[in-house]
Amino acid sequence: MIGAAIDTAWYAYAVVGPVDAEIRAALPAPLELVGSAELAVVAGEVPLAEFGEDVLRERLNDREWLEEKARAHDEVIRRLLPLTTVVPLRFGSIHRDRIAVEAFLETRHDALAAALERVRGRVEVGVKIWLDRDQRPARGRQEAAATGRAYLEQRKRERERAAMAATSLEEHLRDVHGRLLASAEDGVVNRPQSSELTGRDAEMVLNAAYLVPGDGGEFFAEVDRLRSERPELVFEATGPWAAYNFVDLGEGV
Amino acid sequence: MSILEGPSLGERVTLVDLVDRVLNKGVVLTGDLTLAVADIDLVYVGLRVLLASAATLEQEPAEARG
Repeated sequence: MIGAAIDTAWYAYAVVGPVDAEIRAALPAPLELVGSAELAVVAGEVPLAEFGEDVLRERLNDREWLEEKARAHDEVIRRLLPLTTVVPLRFGSIHRDRIAVEAFLETRHDALAAALERVRGRVEVGVKIWLDRDQRPARGRQEAAATGRAYLEQRKRERERAAMAATSLEEHLRDVHGRLLASAEDGVVNRPQSSELTGRDAEMVLNAAYLVPGDGGEFFAEVDRLRSERPELVFEATGPWAAYNFVDLGEGV
Repeated sequence: MSILEGPSLGERVTLVDLVDRVLNKGVVLTGDLTLAVADIDLVYVGLRVLLASAATLEQEPAEARG
């Protein structure tokens, strides 16, 4: 158990560098930079009543709480993104105190410095592709069949049509991903978000993220070109984000 | 103090996009107090919360092994 007198912990949001007075000024009030001018952790005190080990498990199941905290986390990172290089830490990285944050930085210094270099001068852009429900390959058109045999043949044709459409969709998507990769330095394809999660009628068929140079302007232009070349696909580009998808240090705890 | 907005993020980011990044990605180097939390699949938690709140929850993925 933790002593009753200690009722706060330190939440680490991101590793940034280099830092200067402008960045210090951009930080919302309770946040501090821990570390050096080259490499610092953005961290701040949070109540253990919210982020303590036991409570956090429960709080995570509270949608309102989760949304508020996830937005706050991202907001801190978005504020810093135009000002310096940012390596975002995963939600809920909690340290006992400021000294523990310093120790964290010290022990992981080289890996974090390398991650910082990897994303320096780059941002992440998210690209999703949606298909309208009636364009989904799996959905064959239903026609009334007079006989059982006609029905079976019709079903067979539908399956063949669907398989062909699925193949061509896959080719389209691979092609699009290839084009986007050519304009990016790296890219990852994540699992599409389900309709239950997006609340949209259209189906997400690609959920990818790309690491792109500068502010992503040229990359967004490429997305626009693809959009006009392939009107059958609905493109959605988000960002620029901090490079959330490209800071895996390849080591768990 | 005025709040700086990300240049192209004028529209509100959806919660599922946030969960996708803030909970699922980023450097997974936890602090000394989060060791016990580290084994929680945060994105699973986040998605479960989103699903439950969408009122379209069909089944709880009973994959909570361990």
